[in-house]
Formats: sequence, structure tokens, C-alpha cells
Amino acid sequence: MENNYQLSRIHNYIHGLMSKEEMFQLEREALDDPFLQDAIDGYRLQNGVDARQLSLLQQRLNRRVEDTIATRHAQYFTWQRLAIGATAGVLFVTLLALLYFKHFSGKAERRTDVELSEPENRVSVEPLLDGGDARPREGWKTFEQYLNQESVMSAGGGEIIVNFTIGNNGVPTHISAEGQPDQSLFDEAVRLLQVGPKWQGTKGRLKIVFPVKEEKNSAQLTVIKPPHCFGIEKK
Amino acid sequence: MNEKELLQHYKTSGDLSTLGKLYSPYMSLLYGVCFKYLQDPDRSQDAVMQIFEELIQKLRQFEVDNFKSWLHVYSKNYCLMQLRKDKRTTQVDIEDNLFESEQKLNDTSEVKWEEKDFEKLEGCMQTLNREQEECVRLFYLEQKCYKDIADLTGYDLNKVKSAIQNGKRNLKICMERKENGK
Repeated sequence: MENNYQLSRIHNYIHGLMSKEEMFQLEREALDDPFLQDAIDGYRLQNGVDARQLSLLQQRLNRRVEDTIATRHAQYFTWQRLAIGATAGVLFVTLLALLYFKHFSGKAERRTDVELSEPENRVSVEPLLDGGDARPREGWKTFEQYLNQESVMSAGGGEIIVNFTIGNNGVPTHISAEGQPDQSLFDEAVRLLQVGPKWQGTKGRLKIVFPVKEEKNSAQLTVIKPPHCFGIEKK
Repeated sequence: MNEKELLQHYKTSGDLSTLGKLYSPYMSLLYGVCFKYLQDPDRSQDAVMQIFEELIQKLRQFEVDNFKSWLHVYSKNYCLMQLRKDKRTTQVDIEDNLFESEQKLNDTSEVKWEEKDFEKLEGCMQTLNREQEECVRLFYLEQKCYKDIADLTGYDLNKVKSAIQNGKRNLKICMERKENGK
């Protein structure tokens, strides 16, 4: 290569191994090429060319170039991994958020159900503690469910407090109302108690609240329920 | 790829092996240059490597026309900066450096010479001092090497060298001045 050629010329020049013509030629070139002139000056100061040094230098350069290529590969793969990791992370967070919102909105729905239906559309029963030890054999919850299923009150609703004793077969008897409730309210309460689930205990005192029913609801009930209810009433 | 293509390729791609190909032919010259200023083998080697590191950035930023002379100036400046950092004083021949920087400016292509130019040259030769005129004549007209000139004239080798460099410079100045005066 030109490079090595120059180097051996410099070497020969410094050590006086050149013919006069060759020396003149190099000097002439150096006059037009300050880079070459500087290099010659340098090597002359060093008293010659050290080929070993230069090959070490060449090795250092090669290593430097290779290192960078290796690093770049490493960085490339790291970037790839990072990208995959980031994507996975984003997906994970999105999934979590979706799950959270789904869960959250579901919960809200359920709560709305309870709040809206209980006071307005459902018959509720409230055992009055001073009234005795009576309680439905299948629990208050079942009893309340029963009331809601079977109640056919289509009137404006109302509140009634009833006292009763429990017969041997678990059916409430001696049902009486406190105060002056609407007759239809009283009849309905009696009917519901007598036909309904069995009781345990001796005496009971309950407050039953019939909601003001929506027309749609009551209409539905009158359409579906009557045959069934008449059958029971006949009994 | 030739040097210009390598340079362009590196500028666009930033591929270090391309820069390596570009740089490696100059390493031995660079080492010489660095040794001239730093005068220490290890420091000179480190400087050669460090200059390479700096080129990684610089060559992508700057438009470099003539890589060889750009590299020469860059590395010389690098070494001088190193010396300045050391606050170490090194004697740099101001004449040498003056000559070199002018050399860069006058890299223009060959001008056609006519008869009157040779007359002018002869006139200019008279303006040089005796040493310079003698050395320039022996070198350029008789094509003698520095050592022969030193032997013939009895001057020191370094004196011959600078006489020729300065003589050449003065001649050039003289020739250009006369041309402009026309």
C-alpha cells in the first residue's frame, strides 16, 4: 500500500539508505506535502520507524472498530428487548385498567339496584323487637322475597303493623292490626301471613311496608298473578 | 470505494469500519506528526487513537474536501492543544509553520508558464538572500538532495532545509506580486 511504501521510504531516508536521486525526490514531495514533511520530522526525532509500534497501533484501531460493532449489536438487541418489554407493559396496564373499570361499573350497577328498588318497589318487612320471638323458619330474607313475589297490592301502598301468634303448625293466627289501617292493606297482610312460609316461636309483631307500585308493575302482576292467587284465596 | 466515497459513506451511515478504512492509511504518517510535537512514543500512539475518536463526530459534522490536508491540520492542532494543556513548552520553528500554512493556501493547480515568467523568476531569484538563492538553485535546478547541498555549501542540514522552504516561499510571493502589478 501507498502508506507502507511511504513508511519504508521514510525509514530509508532517515537511515541514509537512499540514493541521492531518491532523497531529492522525497524532499521535493515533502516540500509540496506538509503532512509528509511533518511525519519525516517526527520519525527523524524518534531516530527511525518502529514497525512494531505501528502494528500495535493498527491493532488498537481494529479493536476499537470491532468493539463498536459489537456494542452496537448489543445495543440493538437491548433496544429490541426494551421495545418488547414496553409494549407488554402498556398492554398489561391497559388490561388492568379495563378490568378495574369493568369491576367498578359492575359494582355501581348492583348498588343502584338496591337503592332504587328497595324503598320504592319492594315490600319490606320489619320485625318489631318488642313484639315477641317469632321469626320465619327459612329466615327473614326468604320471607321478604316471598312477600315481594306474592304481594298483589295495587293500591297506593301503605304501612301496617300486625300482631299475631303462631299456631302449632307454624301458621300465624289471631292476626290483628294496630291502629286503623286500610282494610285492603289488612286483608292483604293477613292473606300473605296465612299462606306464606311457616314460622317458629310464639308471638310476632311486624311492620310491613307496601310500596307505591308503578303501573307497569301492578299491571303485570294483575295479569300474571290472579289465577294463582284466586286459587289460593279459594282454599 | 475511493477516499471521497468512503468519506461520503461515513458521513451518511456513521459506520465505524468505514472510518477505520479511511483513517488507517494515514496512521503511520499521523504517528510521525504526533511524535514531532509530543516527543513521546506512548503519548503519540494515544494521540493517534484519540484523534480517531474525535473524527467519529467531526467527520459527520463538517464538510471535508481534502481529507489528507484536513487531517494533517486537525492532528497538528490536536497535538498543539495537548502541549498547551501540559503547559509544556516545545520549540516549534515558526518559519516551518509559516511555510506550511501558506502551502495549504497555494494548493492551486499548475499554472501554465510562459517565457516572460521565466524572466520574472530570474529577477525574483536575485531578490533572495545568498543562502536561499544558493540552496534553491542547487535543489530545484540541479536536483541535489539536502545532504549534498549541505556538503557542498557547508551549511547545517536543517539550515539547508529551511533555506529552501523559505526561498521557495519568497519566490512565490515575489512572482505573485509582479503578476498583480501588471
